[in-house]
Amino acid sequence: MRKLVLILFLSVSIAGFSQYDSLNKLDEIVLYGNFSPEFNTGYTVEIITDTIINNEINSLGNFLQKNANLYFKQNGNGMVSSISLRGTSASHTGVFWNGIPVNSSLNGQTDFNTLPINSFDGIEIRKGGGSVLFGSGAIGGAINLSDKVLFQQKAKAMILLGGGSFKTFKSNIQGIVSNEKYFVKISLNAISSENDYPFKDTNLINENGQFKNYGIHSTLGWNFDDKNHIVLHTSFMNTDRNTSRTLTAASNSKLINKNNRFLFTWKNIGTQYISDLRLAYLSEEYNYYFDKDLLNSSQNRSQNLFSKYSFNYFFNKNISLNTGVDYTYSIGQGSNISNISQNDIEVYALLHHRVFSNLVYNVSARKGFSSNFEIPFIYAADLNFKISNNFKVKANYSTNYRTPTFNDLYWEPGGNPDLKSEKNSSAEIGVDFQNKNAKFDLTTFWIKSDNLIQWVPVTADFWQPKNVQKTSGYGLEFSIKYKKIIDDHNFQFQAQYAYTVSNDDSIDKQLIYVPYNKANSNVSYNYKRTYFNYNLQYTGKVFTTSSNSQSIEDYWLSNVEISQNFLKNDLKIGFRINNLFDENYQSVAYRPMPGRNFELNINYKID
Amino acid sequence: MNLLKITASLFTFLLFFASCSEDDQLDLPKGNYEKGYFISNEGPFNNGSGTITHVGEDGVVSQNIYKTVNNEDLGNIVQFMALEGENVYIVVNNSHKIIVANRFTMKKITTISGNGINNPRYFVAENDRGYVSNWGDPLNPNDDFITIINLRTNEIIDTVSVGEGPEDMLIINNNLYVNLQGGWNQNNKVEIIELQFNTVSKTLIVGDVPNSIVADNKGDVWVLCGGKPNWTGFESNGKLAKISTSNHIVEFLDFDLHEHPEYLSIYLDNLYYNLNGKVYEMAAQSSSLPNSPIEGINGFFYSLKANNGILYATDAKDFQSEGALNLYNLSSGALLETIETGILPGAVIFQ
Repeated sequence: MRKLVLILFLSVSIAGFSQYDSLNKLDEIVLYGNFSPEFNTGYTVEIITDTIINNEINSLGNFLQKNANLYFKQNGNGMVSSISLRGTSASHTGVFWNGIPVNSSLNGQTDFNTLPINSFDGIEIRKGGGSVLFGSGAIGGAINLSDKVLFQQKAKAMILLGGGSFKTFKSNIQGIVSNEKYFVKISLNAISSENDYPFKDTNLINENGQFKNYGIHSTLGWNFDDKNHIVLHTSFMNTDRNTSRTLTAASNSKLINKNNRFLFTWKNIGTQYISDLRLAYLSEEYNYYFDKDLLNSSQNRSQNLFSKYSFNYFFNKNISLNTGVDYTYSIGQGSNISNISQNDIEVYALLHHRVFSNLVYNVSARKGFSSNFEIPFIYAADLNFKISNNFKVKANYSTNYRTPTFNDLYWEPGGNPDLKSEKNSSAEIGVDFQNKNAKFDLTTFWIKSDNLIQWVPVTADFWQPKNVQKTSGYGLEFSIKYKKIIDDHNFQFQAQYAYTVSNDDSIDKQLIYVPYNKANSNVSYNYKRTYFNYNLQYTGKVFTTSSNSQSIEDYWLSNVEISQNFLKNDLKIGFRINNLFDENYQSVAYRPMPGRNFELNINYKID
Repeated sequence: MNLLKITASLFTFLLFFASCSEDDQLDLPKGNYEKGYFISNEGPFNNGSGTITHVGEDGVVSQNIYKTVNNEDLGNIVQFMALEGENVYIVVNNSHKIIVANRFTMKKITTISGNGINNPRYFVAENDRGYVSNWGDPLNPNDDFITIINLRTNEIIDTVSVGEGPEDMLIINNNLYVNLQGGWNQNNKVEIIELQFNTVSKTLIVGDVPNSIVADNKGDVWVLCGGKPNWTGFESNGKLAKISTSNHIVEFLDFDLHEHPEYLSIYLDNLYYNLNGKVYEMAAQSSSLPNSPIEGINGFFYSLKANNGILYATDAKDFQSEGALNLYNLSSGALLETIETGILPGAVIFQ
């Protein structure tokens, strides 16, 4: 049984050594939906599999920083963490859960510290404009978190326990029982931390930084017949954080986020088509306590009914059509939002065409209608040209959008119901080299956005969002992966570098919190049951004022991990040192991050 | 060569001698910031520190002077500063403290904080007593108060409860007039605290959102009320209220419904305020509001202060980078000078 899983997953990609072409197209699309490399042939799709994720006991944000060279702005350790992909804002990365959009309806963003990494089985990262396939907000890129369902005889349990500095305790318990007909997976995770690390070179500590988060996730699958799969995904997450002090101000505030998600999927797989229906209910709620000792809080919440139907038809082995319709009904209410509702319907189509065995292109378009604003017509094209077996050229051009969020439209005070959608156009061209041991790619991109929504002062104490900002940017991304196996010695090296310019066109300055330079590397060595990893991250200087007059210093961060397997590899004990060189660094100004700290993890598997 | 050396040493000697004799005749300078004026800059809203800008008599601008002198940050949101005696009292809102420093050297003396300071806003002083308006928890309308500080010992003596959102204050005839602007809400009162007993002796209803307060030469108190803004859904007009300090009778001059004036300042018995990006001048004796603004002054101002025939108007620009102070000639409206400040320039305080 194990072998089958391995074949399916390992053949797709481990640390990027992917062999997409060898995988059956249908299977790939069933597995990855719109994130399938098939529909994104001119883009880079990085697929991170459960073999990597299962050993992690970190937040999604920390994991992606370490493994994918993505930049996050963290309001202190464990606090709100937002992404900036290719120099775009936090609401310009589409975040998906099993193919359905989960960015907040309130602020359009995802807080990457609310998502525990090991409640998912796979992560797909697709950089570049993707609104045609992914809808609003997929401008810098899109990230999908997925539960994988495999109908095969299997029973497996896994317990992960971790403890670390600052009284941090983490746990994850997971069980999978499946056969050819049914699949059941349940996973529980919890993390708590005093998070009271000292601020280096001061006599302050990270007061009021405590957090305790937990989640329950389940996946139930039914292989009705081999042509019809029905899956029900549920996820409950509760994130309870005090919001930590800064260097200049104490805090007694608290933020509680609750997210409940249900998703029903029905896949009907024919010989020449895939029909895919998804119905989801998503609810999110947050409570912010300015003073956690008092009961006054501001609370806002939203609920979405989301449905998506997609139909893929394969005319022949070279031409296929991917069409879809998304319908969303959302409501919002709370302290700052009166009862409001919104209806959106969007349709898209993508034509996939393999012209020659070495030349593939996709053309696509989307149009949406909303009860509350206009959604622009957008289109995209991408191509992949294989020059030789090892060498590919990829290129794409897309137009994209982000629709205004509930906060933008209706926040009291200030919300502006007359807002328009933000518009973007993006292009990239890249080369890709791959052989048995090495993979290398180099991409350069251009990105231009208009009508960007920005909260601007109308009077000193009254701010309103307006479609005022224009930005333009470009950049370069480079990645290299190398692996070498000699007998029992397994050596892997990977490094990524990104250079990003993101310019506020009205003042001609780099946007705040966008580093020009960001790099990441991992060196790992595996001998029999022993594993060693050294991770080095570099985050360049970021500006903190729009005039670029003030900045946070750049920093290097080193993390080391060593682990040993026991009992036929069923037990794994790992030890980590984070921030090995005790660097005093900040992700957000005046919010110091932890110095050197330690973690001990125990991972026990029963098959 | 030799001649040059001799001349040089003679010159140095003379210079030394001259400066010595000058020192003997004049007072020693009390500090680098003895003359000129200060601008308190709130600093970035979420994470960071406010700063103080100093502009010398010679026009020399020094940024971030508190940190330069003391090598520490002031704290988050420097809301206000006031001079009293030899000291400067710097109100740091989100760090919940008052920093006391020497007003001439900016050298820190102490910090006043603790339970008696919570979300401090403004500071006024008289007779060795300092008074600080505090919001408490901005979501709680019932925990707002005034802190009373002994300025000799820099200790908190007492607190006096007031209504929601105490802001700007004024002391006249041993009475403390407190604008209840409303904090995160909107209030419409002025509370009078008798400083002999430290109790609220009277609560006057003025217009909605009293945002600034000054006194004229005759001893009347003027309170500018912005009115409730449109976004509240209960828009009300601005009002200029005149409070007689003898009998506490309030008279009003009404603005139009959609007019929300702010930043009242007084100079030579003329009142100045900002309305829709224009600055208006009104004689304190006048019985009606002025019809037309001062020609030439336009802008989105963050604070106003009229002094020495000049209007000092701060501009917070985009609130995310350095602001500016614009100096206008009060009679002609001509822009005299623009000075770069720190982030979010608020109060302008003269030595």
